[in-house]
Amino acid sequence: MAFVGTLPGAVSDCAYRTDQPRLANFGRVQRTQQHSTLCSLRAFTGQQLQHRQTGQGLTSRRSQHLVVYAIKDGASLEGRKLKVAVVGGGPGGACTADTLARGGIETYLIERKMDNCKPCGGAIPLCMVDEFELPADIIDRKVTKMKMISPSNREVDVGKTLSQTEYIGMCRREVLDNYLRKRAQENGAKVLNGLFMGMEQKEGEEGAYTLNFNNYEAGGKVGKPETLEVDLVVGADGANSRVAREIDAGEYDYAIAFQERIRIPDDKMDYYKDLAEMYVGDDVSPDFYGWVFPKYDHVAVGTGTVVNKAGIKQYQLATRARSKGKTEGGKIIRVEAHPIPEHPRPRRCKNRVALVGDAAGYVTKCSGEGIYFAAKSGRMCAEAIVEGSAQGSRMPGESDLRQYLSKWDKKYWATYKVLDILQKVFYRSNPAREAFVEMCESEYVQRMTFDSYLYKTVVPGNPLDDLKLLTQTVGSLLRGNALRAGAKSVSFGQRVEEASSQVKGVKAAVKA
Amino acid sequence: MFNMSLPAQAMSVPQQAGRHTCQPRAVTLRRPLRIRAAAAVDEKPAAAKPAPSQPKAAASAPKLTCQVVDGKFTDYRWENGRWTLSNFENKAGNMDWDAVIDAEMARRKILEDNPIASTNEDPVLFDTAEIPWWAWVRRFHLPEAEKANGRAAMVGYAMAFVVDSLSGAGLVDQQNSFLGKLLLHVVVFAILIFRTTDSIPALKGLLDEATFYDKQWKATWEGQERPVEGEKPSSS
Repeated sequence: MAFVGTLPGAVSDCAYRTDQPRLANFGRVQRTQQHSTLCSLRAFTGQQLQHRQTGQGLTSRRSQHLVVYAIKDGASLEGRKLKVAVVGGGPGGACTADTLARGGIETYLIERKMDNCKPCGGAIPLCMVDEFELPADIIDRKVTKMKMISPSNREVDVGKTLSQTEYIGMCRREVLDNYLRKRAQENGAKVLNGLFMGMEQKEGEEGAYTLNFNNYEAGGKVGKPETLEVDLVVGADGANSRVAREIDAGEYDYAIAFQERIRIPDDKMDYYKDLAEMYVGDDVSPDFYGWVFPKYDHVAVGTGTVVNKAGIKQYQLATRARSKGKTEGGKIIRVEAHPIPEHPRPRRCKNRVALVGDAAGYVTKCSGEGIYFAAKSGRMCAEAIVEGSAQGSRMPGESDLRQYLSKWDKKYWATYKVLDILQKVFYRSNPAREAFVEMCESEYVQRMTFDSYLYKTVVPGNPLDDLKLLTQTVGSLLRGNALRAGAKSVSFGQRVEEASSQVKGVKAAVKA
Repeated sequence: MFNMSLPAQAMSVPQQAGRHTCQPRAVTLRRPLRIRAAAAVDEKPAAAKPAPSQPKAAASAPKLTCQVVDGKFTDYRWENGRWTLSNFENKAGNMDWDAVIDAEMARRKILEDNPIASTNEDPVLFDTAEIPWWAWVRRFHLPEAEKANGRAAMVGYAMAFVVDSLSGAGLVDQQNSFLGKLLLHVVVFAILIFRTTDSIPALKGLLDEATFYDKQWKATWEGQERPVEGEKPSSS
């Protein structure tokens, strides 16, 4: 369930239901920019949300499966298989379900929108293609050039160090998600077209989870309320995770990403055939970057921010203005907005519930990458469940799920931390951004960046080169700051309060 | 030493008297001193011919300084995406790097205030690393260093005086003792770190920034025992 739901923080106490008109807003190609922007932003701010109590209206409850009784952690399941529900069918959920099903566990994958094209850059690193055995046709475009553009329009081509076989794959999320789900299904997972409404443990801590969901299998706009009893739940339902709310996982700061998909004339599209652009500057975003990514047959122009969400429309206009010569004259075919988590939730597992992907908050700073990490965390979580349950023959507990968290943190903490430092150092002000672009001209930097992005392994470089890089970086930063003394700078040090004023600001921007 | 092996024809370029006065806020059209023919600008900067002054809105390229015209950055010294360094030489043929720094400062300021579209047709090629390190040091570091040195000397003197009057240990005794050396270092580094009263909140903010993300990550493990790798927790 990867659609935009509610603003985390702004709304938390009641269960929300994404209602039909809103889904339609997101699913349909919009006619005018104005109109579609309004819709997306409204959807984003949760204006059209319908309040509903969990479980209310679920009168025709029907227990689909046998009742599961309270079982202690580690106890044998006496012949039956462990039952796990995965909520959300994006890359995270699909990969969890796939690994679980392969591990011999009875798996249910609940996803509301099977053809959801999530607003997303859609870039996947090379190692994901091998690791998750993705077929070649998933990749629409192979980006081999990345252009970084500084506030003073200095441009640097990153990607000169890439070999013939290396590229950043651009995919359409609806295609990728569908493929991963189909594969999970083939491996034995049961895919349910349903909307997760809530869950409860009727028999105490060690009892089964009863999931309430609306089944849309039959089609139509109104789902049929049903229940499903499982031993364990994995929440892979994205930034507005309901599973996270159910386990009181806490909130995270989030960035808002805004993106317009534009179909541009062929001659202009040709320029973007294997090239992505990244704009930095106070005008396009105070703490992130603006982008032009090539998609299947169009480009996606967008930007994101944490510190000033209310100004997102203005930043988007600035991004369009900065890329004017290259993306002008196109037709806007979609407008999208989506929250992006900034850090993990305080609680990522509780009892027999675990979170993966965006729901857990696994999106990197600086690059804002999340697809690979969602898929990988799903797989690691599932592996921990398979191992902890001895191929589904005994009941795993929270300690088994914590194994996954521990391994995850150990494996990727450094990656996240490095990107966090990069963002804090280089995205804070225009002089720093100038230095960032300047620095990216170095081949060593390019090689290191691409290696760590494409293969997700940090290979320590030559210490001498590192030292040289450090001096260069410090030099660039000093020069940049000397040239713009007193430039505006953002602070990444405090928690960004989800002040209602910000939400009001977004709403005001919608009305304007 | 200052001569950067520039073309000899650069000698004939119009000169700027002393330090260049292209202030960041001076976005207004400067009064053209000499006008070049538009064609000549593209070909050779040295081909600039003295011409009578013309009105500001003259169609034949007036000597524009740091302006955005039709979505393009325009300055008579800015050509093909870079500062033409020959325009910054003084009469003796020495580079006036301060003027280059000033010009680049003004360019960055104006582009920050009026962002312009990036185009493939005229890329920006100027690299600040082209300005030699000593020009940066002379311009930005030396005045700062002067200030810091003066401050360190004053604070050091005052402290030495206080220590002397309290303990009776003279300057030489203080320098010879370990404690005295330590104190000296503390003074020097404190002056380097706390330069202005703004430093304290800024440094605190820096500390917060350095630890904030870690706290967010570690929140999961608060009050929890982290499993040891390879241990089977629920093997009962």
